[in-house]
Amino acid sequence: MQDKNKLTGTPISRIDGIAKVTGKAAYSTDYPVKNLAYAVLFKSTIAAGTIRIIDTTAAEKAPGVLAVITHTNAPKLNVNGGIRGGALLQSPEIEFYGQHIGLVVAETFEQARYATHLINVTYDKKEPKVDFEKLAKEATLPKDKERADAKRGDAKAALRDAEYKVEQVYETPIEHHHPLEPHATIAEWNGDRVTLYNSSQIVNGAQSAAANTLNIKPEQVRIITPYIGGGFGSKGGQWANLVLTAVAAKQVNRPVKLALTRQQMVNSVGLRQRNHQKVSLAATKDGKLTALAHEITTHGAIKNEFVEPCGDCSKVMYDVPNSLITYRAVPMNVILPTYTRGPGKSTGSFALESAMDELAYALKMDPIELRIKNEPERDPSNGKPWSSRKAVDCLQVGAKAFGWEKRKAEPRQNQQGNYLIGYGVAAGTYPAHQRPTSAIVKLKRTGNDVMATVELAAADLGTGTYTILTQTAADALGLPLRNVKVVIGDSDLPPAAGAVGSVGAASYANAVNDACQKITDELLTRSGKQFFARPTASQLMLSEKLTEFQTRIDAKPLESAEEYSAHSFNANFAEVSVNRFTGMVRVNRFLAVTGAGTILNPKTARSQIIGGNIWGIGMALTEESILDPRWGNFVTRSFADYHVPANLDIGDMEAIFIREDDQKSNTLGVKGIGEVGIVGVAAAVANAVFNATGKRVRELPITPDKLL
Amino acid sequence: MRPFTYSRANDPASATKELAGNPNAKFLAGGTNLIDLMKEDVERPSAIVDISGLRLTEIKPIAAGFAKGGLSIGGLGKNTDAANHPLIRQNYPLLTQAILAGASGQIRNMATNGGNLLQRTRCPYFYEVAMPCNKREPGSGCGALEGVNRLHAIFGASEKCVAVYPSDMAIALAALDAIVKVKNASGQERSISFTDFHRLPGDTPERDTNLAHGELITSIDLPPNKFADKSYYLKVRDRASYAFALISVAAGLEMGSGNKIVQARIAMGGVAHKPWRALKAEQFLAGKEATAENFKRAADAEMADAKPLEHNKFKVELGNRSIVLALQMAMNGGKA
Repeated sequence: MQDKNKLTGTPISRIDGIAKVTGKAAYSTDYPVKNLAYAVLFKSTIAAGTIRIIDTTAAEKAPGVLAVITHTNAPKLNVNGGIRGGALLQSPEIEFYGQHIGLVVAETFEQARYATHLINVTYDKKEPKVDFEKLAKEATLPKDKERADAKRGDAKAALRDAEYKVEQVYETPIEHHHPLEPHATIAEWNGDRVTLYNSSQIVNGAQSAAANTLNIKPEQVRIITPYIGGGFGSKGGQWANLVLTAVAAKQVNRPVKLALTRQQMVNSVGLRQRNHQKVSLAATKDGKLTALAHEITTHGAIKNEFVEPCGDCSKVMYDVPNSLITYRAVPMNVILPTYTRGPGKSTGSFALESAMDELAYALKMDPIELRIKNEPERDPSNGKPWSSRKAVDCLQVGAKAFGWEKRKAEPRQNQQGNYLIGYGVAAGTYPAHQRPTSAIVKLKRTGNDVMATVELAAADLGTGTYTILTQTAADALGLPLRNVKVVIGDSDLPPAAGAVGSVGAASYANAVNDACQKITDELLTRSGKQFFARPTASQLMLSEKLTEFQTRIDAKPLESAEEYSAHSFNANFAEVSVNRFTGMVRVNRFLAVTGAGTILNPKTARSQIIGGNIWGIGMALTEESILDPRWGNFVTRSFADYHVPANLDIGDMEAIFIREDDQKSNTLGVKGIGEVGIVGVAAAVANAVFNATGKRVRELPITPDKLL
Repeated sequence: MRPFTYSRANDPASATKELAGNPNAKFLAGGTNLIDLMKEDVERPSAIVDISGLRLTEIKPIAAGFAKGGLSIGGLGKNTDAANHPLIRQNYPLLTQAILAGASGQIRNMATNGGNLLQRTRCPYFYEVAMPCNKREPGSGCGALEGVNRLHAIFGASEKCVAVYPSDMAIALAALDAIVKVKNASGQERSISFTDFHRLPGDTPERDTNLAHGELITSIDLPPNKFADKSYYLKVRDRASYAFALISVAAGLEMGSGNKIVQARIAMGGVAHKPWRALKAEQFLAGKEATAENFKRAADAEMADAKPLEHNKFKVELGNRSIVLALQMAMNGGKA
């Protein structure tokens, strides 16, 4: 589909870039809503128990305070309405440290914040369940059927008889999403309809969750979210803050703004759970895998469960006759875990791809060769043919571009001054799906100028949705970019898939393309003429002298796509240097080679891939949320404590896309790149650290103390 | 944050007077730490006296003939300006390196030199008011002692407090034997030697320094030294920038003839409630040859007294290696 004459596939700069860097792009709290009141949340300081007394007398009397809302006076909400993580002020029960137990609404933000200090809470405490090391023994089979034991052949027997095997446990810590824009909402009621300015990766999902929880109809809720300052999964599902802002606005009968602080983010909007992953690989001496077992132990929240799919990569990456994937989970007094940056695949691939590196080392085989040797012809988990699979190309192209031949097979063989240098590789994958999405395209002619407006309730996390949809519509309508306007991020627009799970680009671009093809068909029919070559909608508007024309489509995935297994694949290459005195690791160079079907815009795609890579480097080296097991509080509450990579942590980043035409997965052959960028990254870095130092770190993050 | 009064001081005399009249008043300089702590409800001043407009920003030779008298750095000068001043870059590169190793460009542009010395610990139990902390609330207990204490002290801690002091700049100042000049409301000036400026926690961890309430840091004075070309600030941390030190070492070696060390200056960060002068290591090195073996023996001598907690045992080995590496780097003029 990548055609020289097309705008898609060209590296244009993002359409919304100027608006963003000049501050004109309005994020949730930027809307100039008049007569605003301000809400500030207050939170529990125990992790388990009940509120005996909550004394708000002094807070209610504080200057400027309009309302104090707690479980004692909150309206009845539907706790099963789709808001994640509870904390809806419906009961005195405390399920995790930092649970919302109320909010103060005041004339100013400062007055509201001050009044929260005047609230006195007496608790009946219970012993919190937060010590994962101890609780892991009690983990049981999750309720989610997707996490049932998946067996093929007899992995345990094959492991027993193996010529070569690796059996190791890999640990990943709790992580937080921490988008730069913390979650924030403005709620404004107009009669019985509420408008919620709120960052939402799934516009229609936020609408229905808010409506169901507030016990009103979806059409009574409007979500406006044209720009999102990052989400990483935490703005996919919606959390109590969204609904509580609406409750507060109703209560004080005026618009209310509620923005979380960075410190509040650690226990308000989900987290990535801790995972204890045992990976066992068995192989023949020439490197053919005979068994793969991936056994995961993790935790949920105290009442609800969410288990990220750490075994997913292990299902599809390698051809292995005997496979076992199991999950066990235990309830813990923490906020509900949720989708986080390459959910399951990023953490799971750390375990699988570290183990593959360990196996390659044991076999004295190049780790790239080991992977190629176990390349599956079909999806081993379901026997379906691949829609396309470029895993081997990624490895081979990457090896050449990165200079893999310079890697020493044995560790500690490359020392430069005080630094040990190492190379690492790891592969990754993420499934590709198109989801139902509707769109309206409107054409308007003034003289010889045709303008198009494309409308759908899509979301842009900052990754380039506006840009790729402008390119797609311009191509499909025969218009220059400047004649296309894309309107998204509003639940009043036709319903669309979420910007989640790498489905955004495929769902939105195909829907927009389908809508543009449909409008062209309709204009053709209307003209009643025969054309030698199919004219564009723009040409038809001119030739038919129409001033306005529009159509709507409800785009669905290709039915035939079900017959195939569709995934993006990548190969990640890292060069690290490790200070041999201090153990500080630096990623000097990183290369991600990705086969993800049609790349609509190589520039925004590159940004998205290296963004994912950088998050992966963070996962490998710096990110960790630490709980105090006595009280269940996170001691890592700010960016000073929760270390995401800073500019200085990042060396040369390079992204290469493998050409891949995959019309089996969807019409445009778009497979999505949102998640795959982080998958395999942590393992590539950890494998490079091993190659540099001879130390195999199986517990992330790889901080200096682990390399002494 | 709680309500407070705000006033802007026009001169040091009125600033110190205003503070002297109210035990709950605080100076506001760069605000990079105080405002954060107020937002967290850790600091609850009833009055803020803004001293950011006072002209205590100059960097100048103390006496005619710079080499004799050393350099005076204004208490309210910005960290960025101090780090980049040609006289500091040339004569005290250790200080430049240490300042630039701290915080971020944006914070250094706001933060003042005096304020830097008065940073409070980043211990998470200090920062979260629901947690016990003797420094924030004397008598409430120490959350870190048996809690998450990977970042905490291995020297000079007490049962009451195991927090570490966070500044990088101050670690270099300790190695440079800086003098802190202060002035009080009566107009009296005094000089505090750097080793006496910060305190160990003992039974009064709520007191970080020996500065009396209302005293204003007017300047930080640097005596001349003979190790500008043989100095190095090493900072080991969990990420390459904008992270507090796991361990830092400020090292300077004044060399005599034939590879002999006349005197060594070594201060450590990330290990104690104050900048930790590694006096045992310094004593060991005085008069010795600058060899890898002697560096190691000096490090061993210093680290022998370390008393780690549950999660920071690595700091003993890391401290040892860091002393060796910093001395090696100092000898090589900062080159690996």
